[in-house]
Amino acid sequence: MLIIGENIHIIAPAVKEAIVNRDTMAIQRLAKAQVERGAGILDLNVGPQKKEGPEVMRWLVPAVQEVADVPLSIDTTNLEAIRTGLALLKQPGMVNSTSAEPERLEKVPLVAAEYGARIIALMMGKSGIPMTAEERVSIAIDTLVPRAIEVGIPIENLYLDPLAMTVAGCQEFCPPAIEAIRYVKQGMDPAPMTTIGLSNVSNTVPAEMRSLLNRTYLVMLMAAGLDSAIADPLDDKLMEVIRIVERRDDSTGAGSLLLKVYDRTAAMEELEPSDVDMSDPEQADIWKTVQVLLNKVIYTDSYLRS
Amino acid sequence: MSVAMPNVNETWTGKILEVTLGAGPDKGGTRGKTVTVGGETTLPFLHFEGEIPNKPVVAVEVRDRAPDDWSELLVKAWGDSLKDPAAWAAKAEGLGAEIIALSLDSAHPERGNTGAKEARETVRQVLKATSLPLIIYGPGQPDKDNEVLVAAAEEAAGERVALGNCEEKNYRTVVAAALANNQVVIAKTPIDVNLAKQLNVLIGDMRLDRDRILIDPTTGALGYGLEYTYSVMERVRLAALTGDSALQQPLIVTAGYEAWRAKEARTNDGVPTQWGDWAKRAVLWEANTAVTLLETGADILVLRHPETIPLVKRAIAGLMTRAGA
Repeated sequence: MLIIGENIHIIAPAVKEAIVNRDTMAIQRLAKAQVERGAGILDLNVGPQKKEGPEVMRWLVPAVQEVADVPLSIDTTNLEAIRTGLALLKQPGMVNSTSAEPERLEKVPLVAAEYGARIIALMMGKSGIPMTAEERVSIAIDTLVPRAIEVGIPIENLYLDPLAMTVAGCQEFCPPAIEAIRYVKQGMDPAPMTTIGLSNVSNTVPAEMRSLLNRTYLVMLMAAGLDSAIADPLDDKLMEVIRIVERRDDSTGAGSLLLKVYDRTAAMEELEPSDVDMSDPEQADIWKTVQVLLNKVIYTDSYLRS
Repeated sequence: MSVAMPNVNETWTGKILEVTLGAGPDKGGTRGKTVTVGGETTLPFLHFEGEIPNKPVVAVEVRDRAPDDWSELLVKAWGDSLKDPAAWAAKAEGLGAEIIALSLDSAHPERGNTGAKEARETVRQVLKATSLPLIIYGPGQPDKDNEVLVAAAEEAAGERVALGNCEEKNYRTVVAAALANNQVVIAKTPIDVNLAKQLNVLIGDMRLDRDRILIDPTTGALGYGLEYTYSVMERVRLAALTGDSALQQPLIVTAGYEAWRAKEARTNDGVPTQWGDWAKRAVLWEANTAVTLLETGADILVLRHPETIPLVKRAIAGLMTRAGA
């Protein structure tokens, strides 16, 4: 599982401040910490940056490259900033992102192709995020993949993102994202790569519950074939769950249950109550979280209590 | 030749709770009539699939002060009774209302800023004027809601009235008033199934009986988001029937309030002539809003126009008749 570290993100107040003040030390600390904890790529989300985009990139990219020897993902809607960022990279990078919206699709993949960068392509078009897996996959097959081929992006550099939506309000979108990944990996030949903005699944959820939702969802997505995730490598529990799944470590009750979640999802089955030792609070929480992520129990901020 | 049809009936595991409004002398109140809603074990009006023991009912909105922002059609229809909530309630009962939804609107700081004393007096007068169960709404401003709803709950002690609205910001006070005086609460959230469930969980934490809660999921009017609110209500009802115990209460909708905000009902100024007769259009707008919400699970419909009442009641009677019966 390739983790695209999400922590250099303009929405975080500390990052916003660091970018405004060109605080190199603060950015380098965040970059280093993420690589040390296992990030394989670092996402640089600087926001739209309508005016200062290229200038921000000229400061940010060298600053990060000085301390982090991993590919960088240039995450902005400012096309000039994408170009500037890519031109400064020491090793081939990534562009985050295009979608099937005509304007973005026309310009962004061209720039990625020009610099040999990987590209994240959101499985959504002009009319927003489709509800069903089929609609999301259709966007990939009809629009995103042909455009990548057209501009000369190798299929292994195309990262399809089915879009994670928050359980707190868009719960019905959660299961189809899993199925969209499954379809891409099993139904397309050659299959593009896949990724997802994992933490979005717990947007507006109380902070102490977010990791549980993120990491449980990740196990289900991995079982469907997910290749990478834009996620928080500083979340130790998340990284531990990836290790458990990849090493098939069933030495703990929770670990063994997560492997069952993985196996059941991979087999297109549902987790059964008999798979779970409900007397173990950690396992009971995983069970409840799976039910919420499958849209079987309506989410509330207190779903773990019921 | 006969074709064998597969049985596609669902077997639901959940059941909507029965909630009773109003209490007669045998139960410590003074109501001549009480109303019980809920109890469904299937989706709306699928009589072949499950039980629908109680029909949906019509509540009529009565205010403690003549509204100054109501359509002139409503003002004309109710006439002088608008100035006296007791007379208004009596008239509504005569026109077929099954519940009186009394709004203590004059407590609003900008609409009179009346207090607990006036609220008690209004509640006393309206209880005297009608034999029907009451819903009592505060003015929708948290501080004043707390003040007048607590007073109203005490004044109507034993009458099993529904207190509204009980929202995230004021639920503690309203629920405490309901607990102290054996009342029901209307839990209102803004068109969001997660928030609706969460508020019910919070109310449950205060140990109010589950059958003392009505859910107001907030709705839209015909042409103004009705289909979205329809889906939210459908989702609440499906969750309830599949066993989600935090969403198993009957649903109350303010169809009158929503419909009369719509230009099509409210006014005839500057509208195309093709829209036709205003009075007819307005009543149909309210009735169609209400009937649509019936189809997605509304158990109590709060209405405004006298002529809408029989229309909606006729629709309910029809929908409650089993095919072939």
